[in-house]
This record gives sequence, C-alpha cells and structure tokens, in this order.
Amino acid sequence: MSYATLKEAFYAEGAVTDCPVYDLHGHMGAYYGISFPRPDAAGMVHAMDRAGVKLLVFCHHGTLMTPDVGNAANIEAVRRYPKRLRAYCGINPNYPDVIARDIAEYDQYPDVYVGVKMLADYHGYALTDARYAPAWELADRNELLVLIHTWGGSLYDGPAIVRQAAERYPHARILMGHSCHGEWDKAIALVKEFPNLYFELCAVLDERGVLERFVGETGSERILFGTDLPWFNHHYYIGSVLGAQISDEDRHNILHRNAERLLAKYEL
Amino acid sequence: MNLFDSNLYLGRPTRGAYAPAATAVELLAEMDRQGIGRALAWHVAQRDVSPVTGNAMLSEAIAGQPRLYGCWTILPPQTREVFRKGEDFFAGMGRNRIIGLRAFPGQHNFLLNRQVFGKWLDVIAARRIPLLLSLENGVTWPMVYQLLEACPTLTCVLCDIGIWGVDRYTWPLLENYPNVCLETSLVALEDGGMEATVAQYGAERLLFGSAFPARYPESAILQLRHAEISDEDRHKIASTNLERLIAQVALEAEK
Repeated sequence: MSYATLKEAFYAEGAVTDCPVYDLHGHMGAYYGISFPRPDAAGMVHAMDRAGVKLLVFCHHGTLMTPDVGNAANIEAVRRYPKRLRAYCGINPNYPDVIARDIAEYDQYPDVYVGVKMLADYHGYALTDARYAPAWELADRNELLVLIHTWGGSLYDGPAIVRQAAERYPHARILMGHSCHGEWDKAIALVKEFPNLYFELCAVLDERGVLERFVGETGSERILFGTDLPWFNHHYYIGSVLGAQISDEDRHNILHRNAERLLAKYEL
Repeated sequence: MNLFDSNLYLGRPTRGAYAPAATAVELLAEMDRQGIGRALAWHVAQRDVSPVTGNAMLSEAIAGQPRLYGCWTILPPQTREVFRKGEDFFAGMGRNRIIGLRAFPGQHNFLLNRQVFGKWLDVIAARRIPLLLSLENGVTWPMVYQLLEACPTLTCVLCDIGIWGVDRYTWPLLENYPNVCLETSLVALEDGGMEATVAQYGAERLLFGSAFPARYPESAILQLRHAEISDEDRHKIASTNLERLIAQVALEAEK
C-alpha cells in the first residue's frame, strides 16, 4: 500500500519498507538508574522489528561502566544478531591498560565494530584527555565513527571540548550524541565549522523545535537518528521526526540515508 | 483512534516555545492537524503570570468551545487568592467547564501538603476532581509521595513524569493509591514502558497526553498506535479513561 506522506505510512504500518531506520546510538543491558522492561539483545531486536529499524549501533552498559564486563558483551551480542547489530568499542579512560588492549585487538573484530564510544561525563575525564588518545588516533587513522556523549555546559564533553576534539582529529567521523544538549546554537556552529561533526538526536527530540533549527541552519545531511535503546522508544522518536516541520526528504536523510552513507564501507 | 488529550496548554510562555497556540482557535487547529478530538487544557499564564489571571484567561478562552475542558490552578487557601471567601469555588468550576486542577508549588512558592491545604484536600478528593501535577513544573517525587500519604483517595494525574525512566517512582504510587493515573507523553518515551505498566497495573491507569507545545504530539500518538497492547486497552488510554474521570467529577454547589 502506498501513502502520500511518511507520517501516514508510519501511522498506518508502524514500519515502512522504503524508509528503513538506522539507530546509531544504542546501549544494551541493565543499568543502575532505571528499571528497563526489555534491555537484553532479544528484547531490543524485537523493539527494532516493531518500528522497521534495520540496524542498531550500540555500546553495552556493562562495557561502559566496568572493565569487568568490557567489550566482550558487545562482541557476543553482535555475533548473536549479525544482521541487526554493530557495536562501538567502549572506551573508559580510567583504565588505560584496557584501552591499550582493546585498541590493539580492534582489527580482530571487523564483523563487530564500526567505531568507538566515549562517555566522558560519566567517566570523569575530558574527551581531549591524553588517556583517550589511542582511541582517537585509531579513529582518525581509519575514519571510524566516534560516538561521544555531549552535553551543554559540561567541562568533559561540552561544546568547547568537542571543538578541540574535532580540530585535533579531522578524519574521525564524530557523532555528537545528544548534540551538546541545551547548547543548541553552539552545536549548530560546530557542525557548520567542522565537516567531520554530526548531530545525533537522542534526547533532542523530546524538545519540540530543535530539529527544525538544525535542519534550517545546516540542512539534513549531517543529522543522525539515535534512541539510547533500551532507554527510548523508536516510535516515540520517529514520531518526533514526523512531527517536525521539515520535508519527507529531510526525514529520509535523518532516518536512514545519512547513516547508510556513513556505514557504506562496512559489510552489513 | 479517538484521542482525548489530558496534557496540553495554550498561551505563549514567558521563555518562549516553538509554535505554541496563543488562542483556543489556534489550539483547536493544531488538534485538528493531529487528529485530537478533545482536550483538557490549561493556560500557561496560570504558571507564568498568576493563577488568578491565568484561570480567568483559560475560562474565557475555552468558553463556547465544547471540545475543550479546563484545569484551574490552585494556591494555598490561606491567602484567599483562588479560594475566595464568599465564592463557591466548585460551582464556578462547573460554570466554566473546569473539571480538573493543577498546582505549581515550585514556581508559586508554597508546599503542596496537608498543613497548607487542610480540609480542601479531602473536599477535592471527595468530589473526585483530578489534580494534575507535572513533574516538569515545580513538583517533586517526595512532594507527590507526601501528598498522597496525607490524602490517599485523591484523584491524581501525574504528568510529564520525566525522560530517564521513572518506574521506580511511579509504580509504588500505582500500587498504593488506586486513584493515581499517569499521563502518557513521557510514559510513551520509555521503550516498553507502556506495555509493562499496562501488564502490571492495567490500562485504566494511563491517560493519553501530548504535552503540546513542549513536545511533538506525533511522538505519543505513534507510540500509542503501535504499542503492544490490546485495542481495547489502546482505546481506554486514548480517551475513555479520561471520559471516566470527568464523569465522576462532582461540582454541585456547596450546601
């Protein structure tokens, strides 16, 4: 059945074949601050099916919160669902020895990783701290995705720190997770200035009007869809994209085309 | 899907908002665009200017608009700003299609508790008037817990419950207080949250809300349309639960 608009199609079908969704900001597993209804890989893939999410790129909560879990949780999940999942190699600057090992082993997992993930606000070191350097250098050398948590006002991953990272590592494809939340004007200025920076929409879309500003100022080619799954519901955020005063062409860019372009070099 | 929105406002806030509805006519146009049939609205001037001014603005705005019901905002009775001596507050609600109340204790500098509201809490509870409390608007979880401990039969709708997952706050309230409901504009955000809440406490405890203009109505609508619940439960959340709450409200004049 054909529909006049993407909104009509998603409202009617829930998942839309010619608008597959790529979620480039996910997690997995339990987390101390919340009771998740379905945080395991099977539950998350089920959620993806409901909304037509073709691929999720994630970093397991356990990986990010303790080296005692580490990246093994990412590797296991991707290999269980190789057609639906890819992972970011989690980087925790509190454990340089673990970083050194994981970076050394990165190339052993071409079927698992598409980049690295940094969560500076939670780990307590600015993104530009030397402890992250091996991961940044790997990403810069290989034009990998780097998903960084960013938040307005943060001394660890706020706009000023993001600027330094973007200048220092021009070949890394840097996804600003949460788009420097709250400091939208600074996020827009950064994306305009640095071609290797991208907006990512998780926790952005529950504030009406921000996406319109991003598209109006920079176009829709540098905006990526993400949900923090298992935190946030795909239909909720897709609904936000459908509700924004932008075109269906912009929506196609945001929901899948931009991600398809960034991930083109991988066998998915 | 017949939608009855429990959580939206009209008017233009002090700090601005993206494309708000300044008037009832504009709000109705937006509701038409979203397929929302009816709404329980408040006026942002109730929060940002003054409850007294805002209540009057809301009453004026929804007069003659049968698709709109309203919530007045309350203040401590001692100052006699909203609960005025010699006026029948509840009959006034009835005359103005006001079937709910809101409180903004953080912004309006009072404590929402038994010491302040005394017998008014019992009267509001006995009249089954829904008290809508927004966790994004000056209400905290300890405040909600203390209020309900003081008045366990209160019909209380918790709105804008938070974006980072709050089942550990809301579920004990649903378990202990049968007249507590959750508005869905952020229940819908938690992946699987609506389904889990319905499975645990029943669909009767959820009321559809869009949180317009702060959030995109399409978000809560798309989630509800495709939530993994029965169509009967979907219908309850979309409209019939709020219809049921309104039918229970007693606004007859004081004797």
